[in-house]
Amino acid sequence: MSALHHAAAIIAQAGDTTGLSAADAKGVSAASGAGMAYGLAAIGPGIGIGYLVGQAVQAMARQPESAGQVQTTMFLGIAFTEALALIGFVVFILLKFV
Amino acid sequence: MLAQLSVLAAEGSSSINPVVPDNKGELFWGAVFFFLLWILMRYVCLPPLMRIRAQRDAQVQSDLEAAETASTQAEQVRRDYDATLAEARGEASRVLEEARATAEQRRSQQVAAVETELAAERQDAMAELDRQRAAALGELTGDVAELAVAAASKVVQAPLDPAAHRGTVDDYVNRSGGQR
Amino acid sequence: MLALLTAPMSLLAAEGGGGGLQFPPIDHIVIWPAWFGAGTFYEFNKITAISGIAMLVPVILFLLAGRNAKLVPTGLQNTMEVALDFVEDQVVAPAIGPEGKRYLPMLVSMFFFIWIGNLFEVIPSAHMPANARMANPLILALVAWAMFIGVGVKHNGLGYFRSALFPPGVPKALYILVTPIELLSTFIIRPFSLAVRLFANMLAGHILLVTFSVLCITLFSASIMAAVLLLSFPMLVAFTGFEFMVAFLQAFIFSLLTAVYIGGALHPAH
Repeated sequence: MSALHHAAAIIAQAGDTTGLSAADAKGVSAASGAGMAYGLAAIGPGIGIGYLVGQAVQAMARQPESAGQVQTTMFLGIAFTEALALIGFVVFILLKFV
Repeated sequence: MLAQLSVLAAEGSSSINPVVPDNKGELFWGAVFFFLLWILMRYVCLPPLMRIRAQRDAQVQSDLEAAETASTQAEQVRRDYDATLAEARGEASRVLEEARATAEQRRSQQVAAVETELAAERQDAMAELDRQRAAALGELTGDVAELAVAAASKVVQAPLDPAAHRGTVDDYVNRSGGQR
Repeated sequence: MLALLTAPMSLLAAEGGGGGLQFPPIDHIVIWPAWFGAGTFYEFNKITAISGIAMLVPVILFLLAGRNAKLVPTGLQNTMEVALDFVEDQVVAPAIGPEGKRYLPMLVSMFFFIWIGNLFEVIPSAHMPANARMANPLILALVAWAMFIGVGVKHNGLGYFRSALFPPGVPKALYILVTPIELLSTFIIRPFSLAVRLFANMLAGHILLVTFSVLCITLFSASIMAAVLLLSFPMLVAFTGFEFMVAFLQAFIFSLLTAVYIGGALHPAH
C-alpha cells in the first residue's frame, strides 16, 4: 500500500504542476486502489472456484447417480467462495464511487 | 478537461453510496411487497396447489394399493383356475381310465363268451362229424362186408354165410381206417 | 504512469466531447428519479415498481394455476407445479429435509421475488435489476436472519445459542477463539454476506451490461473505434445470456442458503 501512497504523492506532485487539485489526486489514487483491490480479491476466489468445480466434476463423473446432490453442494460452495470476490467488488465500488 | 474531471470527482465523492440502502422508499416498498407476497403465498396462492398435490398423492397411493390388491386377486384367481383345471384334468383322465377299463372288461367278456360259444359250436360240429363219420363208416363197413361176401361167394361158387365173415371184414376196414 | 491512470478518467470525463466514449457514473445507472413522494418513506420509483411487479407476477400466476386446479395438471398449473416441485426438491429437501414443508411458502416467495426482480436486468426497456439496489437484498437477508434465529430458538430454546456459540466437541480452552468467530460468522456475517452476494452480483452484471451497451452505442459511428464493435456486440449478447442465467442462479442460491441456515438451526447438533 505504501507504493500506492507513493504513486498518489507523485500524482499529487504532478497535479501541482498541471493544476491537478488534491481532490483529483485523491480520486485518481482511489480509482487505482479500487482496481487493485478488485484484482487482488479476484485471485483467491478464482482459484477456489476452479478447484471446487473441478472436484465436483470429478465426483459427478465417478458417481453420476449422485450428480444432483453434488451439484447442489457445488453451488453452495461456489456461493461461499464467491462472496470473497464480491466483497472485493464492493470495496471497489466504495473506493471508486464514494 | 481537468476541470471536468475535478467536477466529476467532486460529484463522485458527494454522490450517494451505492452499497448503503439510502432510499427509504425502496426499503419500505420492498418490505411491503415481499411480506405481501409471503402472506399471499402462505394463505391464498399455495394452499389450493398444495391441496391438489396432497390429493393427487393420496390418489396415486390408493390407486397403487388398488392395483396391488387387484394383482393379488388376479393371482388368486389364476391359482384357483389352475387348481380347477388340474382337478378337471384328473377327473377326465380318471373317467377315461375307467371307461377304458370297462371297455376292456366288456371286450374280454364278449371275447370269452364268443370263444366259449365257438368252442361249443366246434365241439358240436366235431361231435356231429364224428357221429356222421361213424354212421358213414358203419354203413360203409356193412356194404363192404356184403360186397366182400358176395364177391367171395362168387369166387368159391358157394353161398357163404355173410354173418360169419362180417366180423373179419369189419376188423379189416377198421384197421385200414385207423391207418389212414 | 500518469497517462495510464488518467486515461479511463479522461474517457469518462469526455462528456459532450462529440461522439467520444462516455461511461455514465454509477449513480446514473442505479439511482432512479422518484415517480411520487420524493424524499419520503413512500417514495416510489422504478425499483419499487419492479419490486411490485416481482410480487404481482408470482401471485397472479399461482392464483391462475390454483383456480380450479385439477388432479391431472395441464398448462399453467403444470408449469407452476414444476416451479413448486423445483423449490421443494432442490431447495427444501436437501437443505432442511421432510419437515421443511412449513417453510415452503417463504422460500417460494423469496425465490420468485428475487428471480423476477433479477430478470428485469435483461428485460428490454427495463434493464434494471431490482436487487442491484441494496434495499431488497437487505430486507430479504434480514428476513432470512430473523427466520433462522427464530426457528432455532423455537425448536431448541435458548440452547440454540449455546450450541451455536459453543459448538460441542471442541476443547474448552478453544472457546476463547471459537466463540467470537462463531458469533461473528453466524449472526453478523451470514445476513451481510447473503445481502452482499445478491446485491454485488446483480450490480456487477448491471455494470457489465451497461459497459458493453455504452460501447456498442457510442462505437456505432463512423470513427475508427467502430472496429471494436465487432468484439463488443457479441460480448453484449453473450453477457445478456449469462446474466439471464445469473438471475436464476442467484435466486436459487439465496433461497438455498436460507434453507440451509434454517436447516442448521433446526438440527444444530451437526
